[in-house]
Amino acid sequence: MISFEITDGNFSFKMKVLNALSTVLDPELQVNIIDLGLVYDIIVLENSKKIEINMTLSSTHCPMGAAIVNSVENCISHHFTAYQAIVNLVWEPVWSFEQITEEGKLQLEM
Amino acid sequence: MNIVIPQHPSLYKIVISHYLLAAINFLALAPMLALAVNDLGGHYFQPHLLAITHTAALGWGTVIIFGACYQLVPVILETELYSYKMAWLSIALFYLGLLDFIYSFWVFEPGLHMQCGGLLLLTGISLFVINIFITAKRIKKPDIYQDFILTACIWLWATAILGVLMVFNFRYAFLPQDHLLFLKLHAHAGLGGWFLLLIIGVSAKLLPMFLVSTKQKIVWLKWSYPLINLALLLFFINTYFFGLNKLTFIIVFLAIVGVVCWLIYVYQCFKSRLRKKLDVAMAHTLLSISLLIIAIIVLPFIIFYQLKVDVLSIRLTVVYGSLLILGWISSLILGQTFKTLPFIVWTKRYQHIAGSKITLLPAQLYNSFLLNIQFISFLMFIISFSLGLFLKLQLLVYIGVVCLGITALLYVSNVLITLLKNTET
Repeated sequence: MISFEITDGNFSFKMKVLNALSTVLDPELQVNIIDLGLVYDIIVLENSKKIEINMTLSSTHCPMGAAIVNSVENCISHHFTAYQAIVNLVWEPVWSFEQITEEGKLQLEM
Repeated sequence: MNIVIPQHPSLYKIVISHYLLAAINFLALAPMLALAVNDLGGHYFQPHLLAITHTAALGWGTVIIFGACYQLVPVILETELYSYKMAWLSIALFYLGLLDFIYSFWVFEPGLHMQCGGLLLLTGISLFVINIFITAKRIKKPDIYQDFILTACIWLWATAILGVLMVFNFRYAFLPQDHLLFLKLHAHAGLGGWFLLLIIGVSAKLLPMFLVSTKQKIVWLKWSYPLINLALLLFFINTYFFGLNKLTFIIVFLAIVGVVCWLIYVYQCFKSRLRKKLDVAMAHTLLSISLLIIAIIVLPFIIFYQLKVDVLSIRLTVVYGSLLILGWISSLILGQTFKTLPFIVWTKRYQHIAGSKITLLPAQLYNSFLLNIQFISFLMFIISFSLGLFLKLQLLVYIGVVCLGITALLYVSNVLITLLKNTET
């Protein structure tokens, strides 16, 4: 699961972003994207007022890809009105089921 | 690098139109069958049964597959659909042709109506095939899924051309062989070439996504593809020149091995799935696969009895056709509709607010209680109807038809619920 250094100056803010993103669900799996391990990094750019989300999808050309990316953008815009959301889809490392958190596994009844 | 394909603005209307048209045809099947129960005990080559078969295979199965293809092609072939205008023209011509065609089969008027209907259907199908082929041409890296889908389209084309030739043959009798022989080729090009290959190609890509499978042994698909196509080609050549004979058993065996390869792939997807709980939609898919297996088991017996010139072969053929068209294909559609339709509705209705507000999820758009009842009524239909046909018990056939009617009503209601539910939370 994504984690941040407590010494990071934006630690508290990043945790808020993380909590907000925990409300974004994969519409098919009905598990949130944090517990699915889809979010790799959160970068806060204070000067330009941007929040960059580096994330992946469970497969390239995932049928719900556009919906998930859109939901992440909506979520950031809604919770952090002063910031602009930028979602970067990355494919390295490739997502695998090992990235699902224990909570996510429980929800999937794995 | 972002590889997400947003839903095209025209997609919703074209897909929904296909789903609704297909649902109307599905609804028509039970009354048509009820009027033709007496015909079901006889030979399969008669007007009412031909009308019903085409309503099911074209009006129900093919129409919904066309719609689903427009939705899924961007996902499976990983590119945007070539033309939505072509898709509209395709379904318009196809559906007009279908109505003409079914009517002229029902009253058996093999003249201008049937010929025009056939040509309109062929044109609609051709536009669909061209659309998919041009779409596929954009792909830089072809894969096995694409091979299955494109080859299925070629078989669909072959099926339609053969069908139109047979329609004109009613009036002008120019085909060099027996009409029933061409019917066998036409039916198997449709069932084995179009439906089977397409279902394999699409399911191979979507099942692991829906189940979140950790293992996808593509190698089984790479065996399945040549085996099924080789079997179909050999069946065409052998049957055309020599009719059904002992070699047909070997050809059927090849096809069965091809299907088994796909089933192994499916089994591994199910076995390695992370999402352990199976919903009713996936249960419908499993039932569909089971019905395909039963139909395949029946097939060698049909050949055996036909070679013995035993009339049992005719009864078994009706059971076989019912298991495939009303069983295998219908069960798959009845389940997968509620995997695909809610997504397109959800994307249209909720995607713009998802993440900022709590919205319904795709699986909450349909009524799961109705879907459960639908599954039970469909199961009762296929058991009762198939046994009734096999044992020649009309009462069972009638019970089956009533269950099919209930299934259709539940299905259509749930499709409408999915389309009309409008609750923002």
